[in-house]
Amino acid sequence: MNAIEIKNLSFSYDGQKDVIKNISLSIPKGSYTTIVGQNGSGKSTIAKLIIGLLGAKSGEIHVMGKELNEESVYDVRSHIGIVFQNPDNQFIGSTVADDIAFGLENHCVPQENMQAIIEDVASRVGMQDFLNSEPTKLSGGQKQRVAIAGILAMEPDIIIFDESTSMLDPQGKASINKQIRELHKEKQVTILSITHDMEEVAQSEHVVVLNEGNVVLEGTPMEIFKQEKLLKQMKLDIPFALEFSKKLTKEHITNECVCTLEEVVNQLCQLKSTI
Amino acid sequence: MSIEIHNLEHIYNKETPYPQAALKGVNLTIPEGKVTAIIGQTGSGKSTLVQHLNGLLLPTAGELEVCGFHIQPLLKIKDVKQLRKEVGLVFQFPEYQLFEETIEKDIAFGPKNFGATEQEASELVRKILPVVGLDESYLERSPFELSGGQKRRVAIAGILVLNPKVLVLDEPTAGLDPQGSKEMMTLFMNLNRQAHKTVILVTHDMEHVMKYCDHVIVMDHGNVAHEADVKEFFQNPDWLLNIGINPPSIIRLKLMLNEKGFNIPNDILDEESLLKCIKGQVKSHG
Amino acid sequence: MGNFTLGSYVPMDSVIHKMDPRSKIIIMLLLMISIFIPSGIMGYILIGLFIFVILKLSKLNVKYVLRSMKPMMFMMVFLFVINVFVIKTGVPWIKLGWFSIYSDAVYQTLYIVVRLLFMIMITTILTSTTKPLDLTLGIEKLLKPLEKIKFPSHVIAMMISIALRFIPTLIEETQRIMNAQASRGVDLDNGSLKEKLMAILSLIVPLFISAFDRADQLANAMEARGYNPNATRTRYKVLKFSTMDFVGLFSSCLLLIVNIAIAYIL
Repeated sequence: MNAIEIKNLSFSYDGQKDVIKNISLSIPKGSYTTIVGQNGSGKSTIAKLIIGLLGAKSGEIHVMGKELNEESVYDVRSHIGIVFQNPDNQFIGSTVADDIAFGLENHCVPQENMQAIIEDVASRVGMQDFLNSEPTKLSGGQKQRVAIAGILAMEPDIIIFDESTSMLDPQGKASINKQIRELHKEKQVTILSITHDMEEVAQSEHVVVLNEGNVVLEGTPMEIFKQEKLLKQMKLDIPFALEFSKKLTKEHITNECVCTLEEVVNQLCQLKSTI
Repeated sequence: MSIEIHNLEHIYNKETPYPQAALKGVNLTIPEGKVTAIIGQTGSGKSTLVQHLNGLLLPTAGELEVCGFHIQPLLKIKDVKQLRKEVGLVFQFPEYQLFEETIEKDIAFGPKNFGATEQEASELVRKILPVVGLDESYLERSPFELSGGQKRRVAIAGILVLNPKVLVLDEPTAGLDPQGSKEMMTLFMNLNRQAHKTVILVTHDMEHVMKYCDHVIVMDHGNVAHEADVKEFFQNPDWLLNIGINPPSIIRLKLMLNEKGFNIPNDILDEESLLKCIKGQVKSHG
Repeated sequence: MGNFTLGSYVPMDSVIHKMDPRSKIIIMLLLMISIFIPSGIMGYILIGLFIFVILKLSKLNVKYVLRSMKPMMFMMVFLFVINVFVIKTGVPWIKLGWFSIYSDAVYQTLYIVVRLLFMIMITTILTSTTKPLDLTLGIEKLLKPLEKIKFPSHVIAMMISIALRFIPTLIEETQRIMNAQASRGVDLDNGSLKEKLMAILSLIVPLFISAFDRADQLANAMEARGYNPNATRTRYKVLKFSTMDFVGLFSSCLLLIVNIAIAYIL
């Protein structure tokens, strides 16, 4: 089954120019999908459409088999969590525990169950020692981890990361990316990550490339990166690892292109051990 | 004229029960006419340091020599305004400082504060627009209808229009997409190579440091941990790893390979020589 | 920059900190009423003692609380000057030609000053010993009965708590915009009226724009997390009355009654 199914979706902010142009997409359950594209390509608009913060002009969105419409929107939102870009502007509670509780309160989870859930999800994101901390005392990365905890507390089927690491320092970025990979390994949630970070794209299973409101490419990272010319046209980069891997094959050192540093190192190690 | 910093110390809330030492005796020379990167973890004192360069903050101890201005504690700098004209400081997310109805008025705001007439300011604005990659058709447009990257260019033009000798930028590429970042960095490179401005860059992006900068200063807990020429700097990946910063991809690859028994010397910093070096250590596929 | 604002929450372990915010709010209101009852010096001494006991129990630094009076000093001096010129009853204490100070002018000023001091102290103690969220929860629960007449107590409480949550963020933002504009030559201290007006505009416009941006994003985040102002919600924090709450409520009621007695019966 597909976690998210989008059919012929169009959307416009001003009623004239379509920002999303008749897009169809399916995101398989349990997958780790990344969406890339330049600023203004419509990436974040799609995320907002999926959770019903914006209403489509035409087309359908199905989330976990349910069609998204005005009646089902609260129900659909109980299946999806979203981590936005700015860590400050999504921290609602006055402490970490209060913020994690916010979603639980909205979904009428009985008060006596809350403490246990909060402690559990906080420790899953490594924030168990900060339950009583105020947001001003936390780093951007820590705030984003709290946002993830708040979502995990709802036991969602899908988590959307909408450029969640773009405002973080490298430590914060690394810790959130690691968290995403761990979540994916646990295989309980579908991950949809909207990102500029080509190294993250290389780590994902499925990539969607958007340009001016259209899906231009779709496939595995390797399939996408092969279309280098098209990517360059859309002003997107390919990761360093692939760039270097290509040079290795050109020099006939290796015979197959790979797109992560780990894979490059593995290839080279095998060649070395045969000496 | 280079920037000299001696025993610079800055303590926030010094007179309160909760003093916070942000800089603990910094000694530095920032070379003239070069691109210098200031790196370090969040909270290492980078931003506090750069705010001393144009007199927004005064040291609580120590002194600075910037563009002929002497800055020391408890001293009203003789002409703070003049210093701010010589040292242009661009804050993080500068697009949030736009406020005028038109781009022309917004860029002209700085020169007018420094006493330019309408006529002079307008000429300066027209001269600076192409530098940041915008043309005259933008003059009458509202800055608020632009895209994020364009807004940032307008905000940067608002500082460049003052024709500062030193340009200080606090994380100028934060939040931009890769293409936007690249264009932004190219802009600063041109300002340095062609207009010979001293550029000081606070950044988290090690790829940018490697590709664009000449000189690197590493801040750690309010102290200068290292100061070096960019080549020397990247030959010592420990300096980065010790303060928890991820080195650029090529250095990471090198470290990973060395861990697996390859022998790649420290001074290999570009792809070509790395390729050659690897070639010598593996069996070729022919 | 870690600047601690006066009146903001001071985390400490005291009986006052542990009290239910509802009873703290009610006690504050009772004290406010007591202050406005004209019960003379005797009444003020009683109220002063009561506040002093609370202050001691709260373990707050007395100097810290007194510091919150500082901004009021100017107003008090101003008040005194006006009273000296306006009030000409009682015993004339000083007479220098046309200039005179009457005893009532001094007494009147002192009364107002003492009232103001008491009120500031009470509110400072309340906000320093109660987390903003607890405070809003307290307000919400106290206003709950009004929901019967369609008063949106929950929405109002949510608004207050979000406003409180974003105060430090907005202070930081203001500082940053001020620095950014100062780097463009803005000088708030000198310059003509027109220049000053522009300077203020250059702060306010960006601040508003970013505040609206934040509000928009925050609204999205809240909605995405299933917030629906019209739906019922459970609450993480529950409020419970303890012995101390009853003691506090009882004694402040008593104080009010004694004050009324002094003023109107004795």
